[in-house]
Formats: sequence, C-alpha cells, structure tokens
Amino acid sequence: MKRLAVIAVAVVGLTAGLTACGGQTPDRGEADLVIWADANRTGALQAPLKAWAEKNGLTAVVQTVATDLQANFVTANEAKNGPDIVIGAQDWTGKLVQNSAVVPIQISASGVSQTAIDAVSYGGQVYGAPYAIETLGLFVNNALTDNAAPATIEDMIAAGRAGGGENVLCLQVGESGDAYHMQPFFTSGGGYIFGANSDGSYNTADIGIGAGGGVQAATKIGQLGAEGVLKTSITGDNSQQLFNQGKCAYLVSGPWALADIRKAGIDFTLSPIPGFAGLDPAEPPLGVHAFFVASNAKSPAFAQQFVNDLLSDITITRAMNDVDARVPAQDALADELKTSDPVLMQFLDLAESAKALPSIPAMDAVWSPLGQAEAAVVGGADPKSTFEAAGKEVANAVQ
Amino acid sequence: MSASAPLAQLHRHTAGSRKRWWVEVGWRYIIGIVMVLIVGVPVLYIIGVSLDPSGSTTASSVFPSKITFDNYAALLGGDKGPFGRWYLNTLIVCLVVTVLQILCSALAAYAFSRLRFTGRRVGILALLLIMMFPNVLAIIALYSMFTQLGEAFPIFGLSTIAGYVLCLMGGALGQVWLVKGTLDSIPQSLDEAAIIDGASHFQVFSRILFPILIPIIATTAMLAFVGIISEFIIGSMFLKSADSMTLAVGLYGLLQGDKTGNYGVFAAGAVMVSVPVVVLFLFLQRYIVGGAVAGAVKG
Amino acid sequence: MTSTSQPGAGPAPTASVPRERNTTLPGLIAKIIFLGIVLAIGVYAVPLLIHYKMWMWLAVMVAAVVLIFAIYLTKRFIPGKYLFPGTAFLTVFLIIPVVLTVSYSFTNFGDGSRSSKEDMIAAVESESFKRTPDSPIYTMAVGVAADQNAADGPFTLFLISMDDADQTVLAGRHGQALAPWDGDAPTVADGRVTAVPGYQLLTPRQINTAYAELQAMDVAAPGDGQAAIKPQTPTQAYQGKVTIKYDAAGDRLVSDAGVVYPNQTVGTAQCFVAPDGKCFQGKSWLQNVGLKNYSRLLTDSGIRTQFLAAFAWTLVFSLASVCLTFLLGFFLALTLNDERVRGQKGWRAFLLLPYAIPGMISLLIWSQFFNKDFGLINQLFGLDVNWFGDPTMAKIAVILVQLWMGFPYMFIVCTGALQSIPGDVKEAARIDGSTGLSTTFRIIMPLLLISVAPLLVASFAFNFNNFNAIQLLTQGGPSLSGQFTRGGTDILISMIYKQAFGGSGTDFGFASAMSVLLFVLTGVLAAVQFRITKRLENLT
Repeated sequence: MKRLAVIAVAVVGLTAGLTACGGQTPDRGEADLVIWADANRTGALQAPLKAWAEKNGLTAVVQTVATDLQANFVTANEAKNGPDIVIGAQDWTGKLVQNSAVVPIQISASGVSQTAIDAVSYGGQVYGAPYAIETLGLFVNNALTDNAAPATIEDMIAAGRAGGGENVLCLQVGESGDAYHMQPFFTSGGGYIFGANSDGSYNTADIGIGAGGGVQAATKIGQLGAEGVLKTSITGDNSQQLFNQGKCAYLVSGPWALADIRKAGIDFTLSPIPGFAGLDPAEPPLGVHAFFVASNAKSPAFAQQFVNDLLSDITITRAMNDVDARVPAQDALADELKTSDPVLMQFLDLAESAKALPSIPAMDAVWSPLGQAEAAVVGGADPKSTFEAAGKEVANAVQ
Repeated sequence: MSASAPLAQLHRHTAGSRKRWWVEVGWRYIIGIVMVLIVGVPVLYIIGVSLDPSGSTTASSVFPSKITFDNYAALLGGDKGPFGRWYLNTLIVCLVVTVLQILCSALAAYAFSRLRFTGRRVGILALLLIMMFPNVLAIIALYSMFTQLGEAFPIFGLSTIAGYVLCLMGGALGQVWLVKGTLDSIPQSLDEAAIIDGASHFQVFSRILFPILIPIIATTAMLAFVGIISEFIIGSMFLKSADSMTLAVGLYGLLQGDKTGNYGVFAAGAVMVSVPVVVLFLFLQRYIVGGAVAGAVKG
Repeated sequence: MTSTSQPGAGPAPTASVPRERNTTLPGLIAKIIFLGIVLAIGVYAVPLLIHYKMWMWLAVMVAAVVLIFAIYLTKRFIPGKYLFPGTAFLTVFLIIPVVLTVSYSFTNFGDGSRSSKEDMIAAVESESFKRTPDSPIYTMAVGVAADQNAADGPFTLFLISMDDADQTVLAGRHGQALAPWDGDAPTVADGRVTAVPGYQLLTPRQINTAYAELQAMDVAAPGDGQAAIKPQTPTQAYQGKVTIKYDAAGDRLVSDAGVVYPNQTVGTAQCFVAPDGKCFQGKSWLQNVGLKNYSRLLTDSGIRTQFLAAFAWTLVFSLASVCLTFLLGFFLALTLNDERVRGQKGWRAFLLLPYAIPGMISLLIWSQFFNKDFGLINQLFGLDVNWFGDPTMAKIAVILVQLWMGFPYMFIVCTGALQSIPGDVKEAARIDGSTGLSTTFRIIMPLLLISVAPLLVASFAFNFNNFNAIQLLTQGGPSLSGQFTRGGTDILISMIYKQAFGGSGTDFGFASAMSVLLFVLTGVLAAVQFRITKRLENLT
C-alpha cells in the first residue's frame, strides 16, 4: 500500500511539476502576432519579425510546423487554433480559399512583381503578400563539361558524356516522382497540365497529361530514363549533394541550392534549362512565396498591418534575405541584389520564361499522379498508357 | 548433450575433436559474428555519419572522411531548435505516460485476473478489440477534442506537453495482457491465504502481487517507453511550438525540412536519443529476459 | 520501485479480524483527500465548461466525478476500483474519438466542407468584398466618445484620404455614410488623425480586439452608395463592395455581375454550382451524406481493388514480419543458448541493440540505406538492386527492415522460454533416442510455441496496423501504374492516412469510412486470433 501510494504521489507530483515547467503553451496568450512557417523559413524571419514587433510595441513569434504545414494550418485555423499568418507557396492559394482559411489583402505598395501578385490571386482577389519568387535553372559544373549553356537537351547530354562525370544530369525524380522539377522537360516535350481559357485563366476541363503532347513528352522522358540520364535513384535528398560532390555535370534546381554549391566550392555556371531539339522551349515552373492572413486570426488587424508593412518598404524582406537568400518579389530589393549577388539575380531573368502553375484547388490532385507517372516512365513503363491513366486520375479528381 | 561437454573439452587438442568442436560449437560463433555484423554495421554507419561534418546521405564508406563533433555541437548549441528542451519533453512524456499506463494496466490486470464479476470475459475481449483501433485514424477527432479542451483549460491544449500526455493515455490499458498473463501464472492460493488473514484486495495487490510483478512490469515499461518515444504522427499534429516538441517530432521535422543539409545533425540526434535507451535496456536486461518469458509462459 | 520485498511478506500482523477489514487510517485519509481533490476539480471545471458550451467535455467530467464517488465510496463494485482509471482514459481518449470517427464517415467532411453552410456563406460574402479600382486608401483612427468605454463603442472612424492634399478629416459611424467631420478640429500628424476633442482614440491593440466589430460597421463610401468603407490595418481603411451575395429565397449565390450559383448536388454533396458545373471555388459545407461514402468504397471498382490489394499485402506483411522474426529469433536462441558458447551475456546484449534503438530512428536511418545508386546496401554488397523502385523489391526491403528491428525481441523471448523448459524433458527425449535436431523440432518447438503463441498473436496485431514501419521507410512507395491511392508497400492504415491527409487533398469523410472498415476487419481478425489462442490455452 505504502509503496503504491508513494509511486502514485510521485507520479502525480512528477506530472504536475514537469508539465508546469515543461509544457508551457506557445505563448499564444502573450504574443500579439503568430506566424507559422516551415523549418526553412523560420530562421530568416526571426530577427526582422522581432524588430518589426518592437517598433510597433508588440510581441510576435514565428513557429515552425515540421510537417504538412498547409494541411495543419487549415485544420488549426478551422479550429480557431491557428496562427495569424502563414507562409506558403502560390499553389496553396486555391486550397486555402476553398477552405475559407485565408482572407484577401490589399496591396497598395508599388514595385511588387505583378507576376507574383497574379500568382497568389484567386477569383479577382489578392490573398498573399508575395516576398520571393523562384524558378528552376541549370547549374553547370564547369570542370565536368565545356558546354556551359547547352541549347538543347541533346547537346547537354553529349557535353556531359564527353566530360566524363559520374552522372550527366542530376534532376530529382525519386520513386514517386517530382512533377515540379520535371516540368521544364514535360512542357518542352509538348505536355501541359491544364489548357487556357480565352481570358488566360486555366480550363480544368482541358487536361493535357494524357493527350498527344503529354504522351509525346512522356515518350521523350522515357527515352532519357532508358539512356540513364534520368534516374529514379536521384532524389530530392541527394541530387544537390551529388552535384556538390562533383558527381554531376548538370543540376536542375532552384535558388535554394546556391548557398551549398558555393560552400562546396564548385566552379559553376547558371544557365537556362534547355528543351528537346526541335520541340518547344522548356518552360520552368514559377514559384512564389507569400504571407497569407488567416481567416480566424486572433490578431487580424496586426496581421494585415504586418503584410502591409512587409511590402511597403524592403526593411523586412532585406533582413530575411540576408539569412536566406531568395529572389525578391520587390523591385527595390531586386535592384540592390543585382549588384551584390548577380548569380542569384540570374534567376530573375530565368523567371521571365517561367510560368506560374495554376493556383486552383485542383492542383493538389495533379502533383502526385503526374509525378508518379513520370517516375514510372523514367523507370521504363509504357509512356502512353501510363500518362493516359494519370490524365484520367487527374480528371477524376478535378471532376 | 550437456553431459558430453567436459569430455569434449578434455580432448579438444586432437584433430578429430576439433572437427567435432566446429560441428557442435564453432558454427555457433560464426553465426553470432555474422549477426553482430548485421546489427553493428548500420549502427556504426550512423555513428560515422554523425561524426562526419559533411553529413552525407551518399557516403560510400562506413567510415567518415573526417571526424568532428560539429553535428553534435550544432544540435546542442540550439542552431536547429531547442534540442535540450526536446530531450526534456521526451523524457517527461515517456516517463509520465509509461508510469501511468503501467499503473492503470496493472490495476486492471489484477481485476481481470483475480476478481470474478459479470461482464469480465466480454470486458477482456472488448478491451483487446478496442486497443487494436489505431489512434492515428482518429486523429481528426482527437484534434478537435483537444482544441476544445485547450480553450477551457489552456494547460491541456494543443501544443502542450500535458495535453499530449493526456492524449497518449488513450492507450492506458495497452499493457494489460502481459501483466494479466503473469498474474494468471501466480497461484491464487497465495492471495487467498492473505485474504483469509484479513488483508483487503488492495493490500493483496500492492503487498503480495506487485513485488512479484516487478520483472514483467520492468519489461512492459521498457516496451511502452520505446513505443512512446517513437510516436510522431499525433505529436506533429499536436505540438507546434518548438518548445513543446518531443525528439521524435523535432528530429523528424529537421529531416523533412532539409534531408540533405540535416542528415548529419539528424544522425547525431539519433545517437543521442538511442544511447540512453540502449544503456537502460542493458541495465534492465536481466528483467527483460525474465519478464518476456514470464509474460510468454502463461498457464 | 525496484526494492524487492519477499513475496508473501503479506498482510499486517494485526490482521486477525476476519473479512472486509479493508480500511486503515492512512488509507481512509488518503481516500478522503483523493475524493476531495476530485470534487474540487469537478466544482472548478463544470462552470467553466458550461461557460464554453462544451457539452461533451461537461458530460465526461460529470460522469467521471459521479463514477469516482460511486465506485470509491461504496463497496458495491470492487472490480470497478481497479478497472476505473484505465477504462476512464480509454473511454475518453480512444472510444470517444472512435465514435466521432464513425460519425464523420457519414459526412462529406474534408477540404471545402469543414464548416457549416452559414459560416461558408458568411465567408464567401466577406471574401467577395472587393476594393473599388482606383479608389483612395485612407489613414484611419478609431474614436469612442470620451465618456464611453473604449472597448464597447460605438465607434467613429476618422479617415483622411491619402490622395487628398488638403487632408480633410472624414468621419463615419455605423449606419451613416462617410462625411466631412463637423465637430471640433482634430489634431492631424503625418496625414493621420491623432487626437479629437471629446473623443478617446483606440490604441492599435484596442483596434485589434475590436476588429470584427469594426469590419462589420456599415459605413457607405462618399459619392458611391453601393460602396462601403472597411478598416484594414489599425491605421488604414479602404473602400469597396461586396460582389457576391446570398439570396436566401432562392437558396443561391448571386454575383453583382448577375451570375447565379444555384444550390445543387455535385458528386456526393450539395454546393453552389458555378456555370462550369463545378462547386463555386470548390466550396461546399459540412453535411450528412448518409451511406454514400460506404457505397463509393464498395462500388468504385478502382478504389475497391486498391483496398483489397492493400488488405492482402497487409496480411502478408504482418504474417511475414511475425514468422520471420520468430524463426530467426528462435534459431539464434537455439544457437547461442548453449552452455559451451562463451560470453552468452555479451552476445545477448549486443543482439538486443536493434530493439533498444527507438523504432522511428531506425526506420528513418534504414530509409536511406536502400537507395539504388548511393545507398549503403548496394554499395556494401556491390549490388544494383532497385530496392524502392520495384514493388517486389520494396516489399522485400520492408520485410528485411522489420526483420532487423524485430528479431531481438523474439530472440529474447525464445531464449527465456528455452531456459524455462525443464532439462528433464530434453533428457527424456535424448534417452528415447532422439537426435539433437529431432528433439528440437518434435519436443522443444511445440512446447515453445505454446508458450510464445500469445506474443506472436500480439505481434501480428501490432504489425497489422504498424503505420510507422511503412510511412517512415517507403511512405508507401513505389507508385504503381494506374493506382494512385495505394503504393507498392502501402498497408491499409498508411493508405487510409494518405487518403485523409495525402497530397491529393483531404477527404476525412471518406477516409473515416475506410477507417471504420479497417476497424471491422481488425475486429474479425481479432476474433480469429481469440479462437487460436483459446485452443492453445486449452492445450496446456
């Protein structure tokens, strides 16, 4: 009896004591403004957010959401438990609007990239405050090839082979595919995801994955797989690393890869991604990162104020850029960076040929079937039937 | 078999008996060594990665190119999040949940094993069935429940260790079976005698049976502990602020955030998480072997 | 906790009074304190829960307090005293969520249908508030008459158009149009009102708190009766108008351009349908769909095939995990459990290692080992196996990892069980002329199987829903051509998780229906297992 009682008391004490000191809530009660971001962005936002809050006599925190930020945000917001602001990509817009999880914002500042604003607009309203854009480019290891700006994919392969590197191309595919990184090749081969209406908006009834152009692109991608240029063993986990170790002549990646490439000391050139000879030019996807204001924000006024202040000058975005260099969506900051980091700003030029992917809710239903189909074709599956099946799956999901 | 052993030893030096030694004993060592390699190489590799400053996922060698403690320093220095806090949180969650689960299970196991009441058999079956429902599937329901609870009692809300602990207590009766198995194997006469002597049920349980149960309880505690330390799905849904995370949630987040850049750091974290558990295991090994058997050999 | 007292040290020496003398003084005091705490918590929590209208938690709380008193104060149901703590936790944190999950399975709960119809309509209307093109942005201050409470209003907006060089101060109140301020002259600094005689101006924090009310104010814009003023930040406001309105009479949405979105059924649920035949902005609302989720599960041939295929692999996966780990563990136990092998403790301790490393860590580490070109396994053995690319090889890889992680447990269990088999049994078998091998198979194995069978069954049940083993290793991959919900190594639970939270949007209603089906399947399997274990129990 005594021993049990002692244990019971100890447990209760332990629970109470430890949870009291160990389980504090995330200061929601104290913080005036709460921002959620993924692990890559919290670091960069920490200092500028603090400075902003201090200037306004407020307290603000940025919290990392380790997994599935979008889904977690929507669920938490619905439960009135979420943040005031969430940082996300432009292709979230449709889904966030579908769930009424975000509210429109007003961008009154000038000098913000219109492409970026359009990418985070939906139904005629702007939902996100864009702060960075990104696209894919071709990183060339100058030691492994003498063609630093191949005009076609075929040229690139020939030059890469001649250079004798372990791999010609590092383009992340992985076992479940990566439709985002494959997009330049897919579009060059003649594929498209959704057709366009006459007003420029996307027509979700016209799905190009299983159509002629999509199958043609798939056939081309399959050939690259058969030649060993594309491999499912090259994944998001290792593609940059392989390039940094000097094991790839070419790497298809975005501005986020830059810092590590420099650190690895690779002598590199950044070029546009080539297309297949005789086919369409490659059209890399344009990504936009933006701050969205939550519909159930506890501090809606402060949230609106923050996104307003974010774009009204470049104090916050410049401070973020110092930690995590990205291609800014603001002209003023872009001009500054053009002199301080010209290579990074090459992405701004690359972005001109890029196209923002649709931000409609149906996009979620596109990525995984398309990626899977591409991975399958790289692995040797029949392009026609695989892509037709994927097109059908997307059509079903889009309804 | 055992009777011939000394004899074999006596004649070990002759060629014939050496052959016989290989047939009867020697091969056992070879298999043991093979298994040690199978177990050891991945573990060594991870230790190697954790010491390799490049933190490579593509290293072709088991041995790191260069040995530094950079990854450990990065973790402990808080560059990648409040690692010390995660460690503390994990200890709190694992200890509290384990102890409470074991207590609840042991009490219930006593009732199921020693007391006779209507609905006992149905209760046992229903319990086993319910325990099979994976709580991962009910995560949405759990989320909305704890959202509400947190509004009224912030200490038990989402992103709190207390709320997370409470949620994991859904598995409070998860260890009933092992304990009940052992109890069933202890002769009833032992406690009947005590009852006749005037002891209450609770006294029987706490003074007579509980001490006998300690080995099995040590085993189940270990099982529960490693199970809870690995829980990350509910954790990553619940624990949002960096200060409230457990190691599983925090490290998984690190790896998800940047597999390339954080692999070495993750490996360092993995080593630091595993070492105490392994030490505890070795420390409790005697109990675990005994306990596993006691649980297994039920009447 | 580990201090051992001899079993049978037993009852206190004074215990000579027969039967039911079951309370000692400290016990009684402990009981009183315990019940006092319970009552205090109840008294504290109940009003709070009523205040928040949390009826479910209220019911849980009241039931818990009443039951605790009923059980621990009376002697009516003694088993209850032992069963209550665990059962209470189980009920609240497992059974209630399960019941809720079942109830979700009859709804369309998911993306675009998380909220009620009213909330959805309100959100659509407020989101459709569009800024009038080229209309001015105003600096804003919010005032409340000095004798009123700042938090309660009524609020007056003091605005200055940013385009207005004269900085005319405009004022707007709820229900009134924005008009030039005709009261005492306000102080203006940096183009914004900073003080108004007779008024107190709200601080940014106060504005933030009152934001919803400020947004709800109806202040018509000057010169445009249709447009209204809306505060945006604590210091700015703009003008615009609602472009989509709900028409209650026709139960439809109507845009100011005249587009009509009638309420119709699309797929399994109702929504406001846009001219292109899809739900407006993909939005619907939470509604009861009856058995449609189940009928979709059973009739949609694509999904049914994937579900059944995942079920088959789940069975193979859990059976193989159990059998192979057991066989390896048993073999090792036989091999090393021999008194001629030196350093038994050392071997045992080392082979325990995979079991002691937290499973989540092991799985994440192993997931890197199987890369075709760069993974440790292919590198080490000079292989070129496309482990995670080929469905069959991926399945083998998953099982191999299960084997690595699981054999130590079986090894321990078998070692223990072997040691507990009495030596005379083996001796008798030997005298009967059995050879070593046949002793093993004819005598030892059956004995051992009987004692470890319950553990094998438990291990099977665990692996049947071993979510981590798949999610952390392969995430269900590789993808299969033509199948988009199930991957090559997906077991049922990981497939359902994908359906509920996966990349292709969330569909909790449907995923809940799948969960319920999985629960039923688990139950049937459990029943079968009971049969088996019962038979084994009867054997002994």
